[in-house]
Amino acid sequence: MEFRNELVKICEQYPKFKFNFHYRNWETDFLRFYQSQINYNISKTSVSLSTTMYKGKKSYSFSLKNPIKAKLLEKIEEVKMIIDKLPEDPDFIDLEDDLTKSAEKEKINNIEKVSLDKKIDILEKLIKAIEPFDFKIYGTFICNYRTLYIINSNGLNKREICSPIFLEVKAVSNKNEVTVLETYGGENFNTFDVERFTKDLATKVEAATGEIVDVEPGEYEVVLAPRCIGDYLMYLESSMTARSLDTKQSFFEGKVGQKIFPENITITDDPEHPDLINFDYNHDGHIYKKLPIIEKGVFKNFMVDNYYGRKLKMKKNGAEGSGLVMETGNKTREELIGSIKRGLYISSLHYMNFINRKETSVTGLTRDGTFLIENGKLTKAVNNLRFTERISDIIKGISEIENRSYTIPSSSNYGEFEIYSAKMPHVKVKGFKISSSTRTV
Amino acid sequence: MKKLVYDIINKLDIPEVTYADVRFTNTDDQTVYFEKGNLKYFGSDMDSMALGIRVLVNGCWGFAGTTILTDASIEKTIKKAITNAKVGSRFRREPVSFKKLKPVKASYSFAPKEDPFQIDDKFKIDYHEKIAKKLVGNEKIVYSNTYTVFYRQYKIFANTEGTFVDSMVYDTMPMMYVLASDGKETMCRTWPGHMNGRRGGFEVVRNVKMEENADKIIEEAIKLLDAPRIEEERADIIIGGGHLALQLHESVGHATEADRIFGKEISYAGKTFIKPAMLSNFKYGSEIVNIFSDSTNEGGMGFHLVDDEGTPGANVDIVKNGILLDQQTSQETAALLGVQPSSNMLASFADDIPLIRMTNFCLAPGKGSLDDLIKSTENGYYIDFTKTWSIDDNRNNFQFTTEIGWKIENGKLKHIVKEPTYYGITPEFWAACNGICGPEEWEFHGTFHCGKGEPGQSMHLSHGVAPARFKNIVCNVKA
Repeated sequence: MEFRNELVKICEQYPKFKFNFHYRNWETDFLRFYQSQINYNISKTSVSLSTTMYKGKKSYSFSLKNPIKAKLLEKIEEVKMIIDKLPEDPDFIDLEDDLTKSAEKEKINNIEKVSLDKKIDILEKLIKAIEPFDFKIYGTFICNYRTLYIINSNGLNKREICSPIFLEVKAVSNKNEVTVLETYGGENFNTFDVERFTKDLATKVEAATGEIVDVEPGEYEVVLAPRCIGDYLMYLESSMTARSLDTKQSFFEGKVGQKIFPENITITDDPEHPDLINFDYNHDGHIYKKLPIIEKGVFKNFMVDNYYGRKLKMKKNGAEGSGLVMETGNKTREELIGSIKRGLYISSLHYMNFINRKETSVTGLTRDGTFLIENGKLTKAVNNLRFTERISDIIKGISEIENRSYTIPSSSNYGEFEIYSAKMPHVKVKGFKISSSTRTV
Repeated sequence: MKKLVYDIINKLDIPEVTYADVRFTNTDDQTVYFEKGNLKYFGSDMDSMALGIRVLVNGCWGFAGTTILTDASIEKTIKKAITNAKVGSRFRREPVSFKKLKPVKASYSFAPKEDPFQIDDKFKIDYHEKIAKKLVGNEKIVYSNTYTVFYRQYKIFANTEGTFVDSMVYDTMPMMYVLASDGKETMCRTWPGHMNGRRGGFEVVRNVKMEENADKIIEEAIKLLDAPRIEEERADIIIGGGHLALQLHESVGHATEADRIFGKEISYAGKTFIKPAMLSNFKYGSEIVNIFSDSTNEGGMGFHLVDDEGTPGANVDIVKNGILLDQQTSQETAALLGVQPSSNMLASFADDIPLIRMTNFCLAPGKGSLDDLIKSTENGYYIDFTKTWSIDDNRNNFQFTTEIGWKIENGKLKHIVKEPTYYGITPEFWAACNGICGPEEWEFHGTFHCGKGEPGQSMHLSHGVAPARFKNIVCNVKA
């Protein structure tokens, strides 16, 4: 019998207890390259079961690798001996009870579709295109395939498949280490246009062959690449959860319905967006559908899961920020850059960390291509810079938004890691605070 | 399992495989977590077994790992590792090569004073519940938590050079946290701070005395709400051991990982400002700065008999009298640099590929107590307990914020300051070190969460440090 069915049976077999099961089959094929050659290719497989067993408001959690029924039953018997001795969690009310199912689509296993040979062929093409500029490529080319079953004693029996592809290429100058970045992410490899990717990377490399300069700390008008605004929003997302309200760390506390950001800021969480890596359910197994987060500058909704929804008496919505989409504006990227007399173009961010989460203050650095804008043109590479700033102020400072947006993949990287994506345009920000220079690229 | 590892390494002893290593790990962990006085999570992940096979074929590494330990899965994993290397070698321009090492056959088992996996669960729950209840009750404390993670790992390592070593270690990581609010802003305090991992069992929890320090952090968090910030442009700062461990970790530890020199981490963790030509001549710090990587010290979480490619544990000077001498290396990078491998290749679990990792990365002690160092400071700040950390891609520009600081005036600690934030450039900062406390203040701090590599790995490691003073540091950064 399929192990999933065994889990359903166990829920019925122990009526005095409630169970929450996450049964996962996960594999990755992970190519890492440097200096235009392979570093290593890793293949990993794992099968795991995460279980939380409840008796009233008491609970115990455990994980099993390669679970089999006998092992699971043995563990359940062990937990039965412990669980009565544990203190209650007075805030726990019940497990997820949303039985709504998505289409639970089948997905092609991209590990099989995009072989190591195929990956190497693509990378060789990229190398050829940038070699004349004396650059080499560094990066990762990942395919994952994961099937997750979420089963609980409230009748949930759901399946979600993810088959993401993530390609991140950094082209680094042999001469001075100036770096540019190009990425692809998605689940449908047919959307990967190798010619366009190669051309975009080569164009960036060509623009990065000039001299390197340093800039003084101070306030600058900047154009943030889609990846940067995506990063800031992902950090801010930790303030958009019901849990952040409970832990008193939310910037948005008491601000639902208030206009916080400029009129041009609209952000949704859309896990079904055709250009993104799609998810059917949140971690509880609640159906995960599009949700407005910020609409024309007004904060609309917290992301509410089962535990905190019940605890804080908020309506659960299953959102968890795995598909953030920012609405586009009406300017081209060239117009955004063209409108700046002296400013900066920032390609990517590095090592950002909160100073004060509730105030949204962070420090972090630029990476993988920071450029000086002079008289509306990218003129020189700039050493990486440190910013110390409130994310809320950065978003308040967005004056213009590009008229197209890009899929920005990111990897959670650890354990049985997931790959996520967001859809973001370039934005122009006024008064961006640079606090120091790193003096290196 | 020894037989399994032995059988696999024998299967890999074939002409097409230049070198191979096989690792098996069986990992147990348990977490007790209270939030706002209530048990929010109690759970374990026991007998988590993993197998990893790394091969060098045609000058290219191939790796495969699995948690599925059936015969069919193991065969598939062996084949996959070899295929990854073979196919990958068409994309390898400079073949990997290194010298053979002498084989090591040994066994090691750490004995905790109190084995947390043998202690009754109810006792552990009650112990933490008492602390958790102490953290709630004050109306200005709007959030609190306390937890401990217990961990043990059994590992078998074998390679085709004849090394066969097994080991068992125990690590423990206790923590408590309070967040105070006056309705306008929030301030936090932790204990024992973010470098809270130690080699050992339940004795580690007792040693950090969480219950005894609960009232202290509550009081400090509340006082921080009304405390001033540092106003000076620059100041002398004495950094306490917990935070100094992180300063050392970020600005010297990661900077001296040799894989970064060759760009192997550019795609994720980053590079380093260090170039091979700097070895033996670059001034990394003042003359009193001595830094070493020591995987032979059993007191730290970085102890091992051999690393994950068979290099015996070693104590290597990285910075001596302020001069950069060496790097943390693998066999491959040591060969490229023309140095001896430093025994720093490690993986978190067997199904992870080994990477260059810090082990016990230490700042050698100087002289005198912390009191002596404060007394000899006319004006400055004593700061500790990391709040925020950030460092650039080259490990050159860093900025840290601690939870709390104390103003020093005429050699005495005065009032507290909130969120002291300082910034520096790595070699300039270490050159400004003008006082390091002595062996009586030197101790291991550590973490379970040093992230590196792709796919990412979270490593347990330790830093031996004593508080130290740095002169004229920029500390006026504000968001």
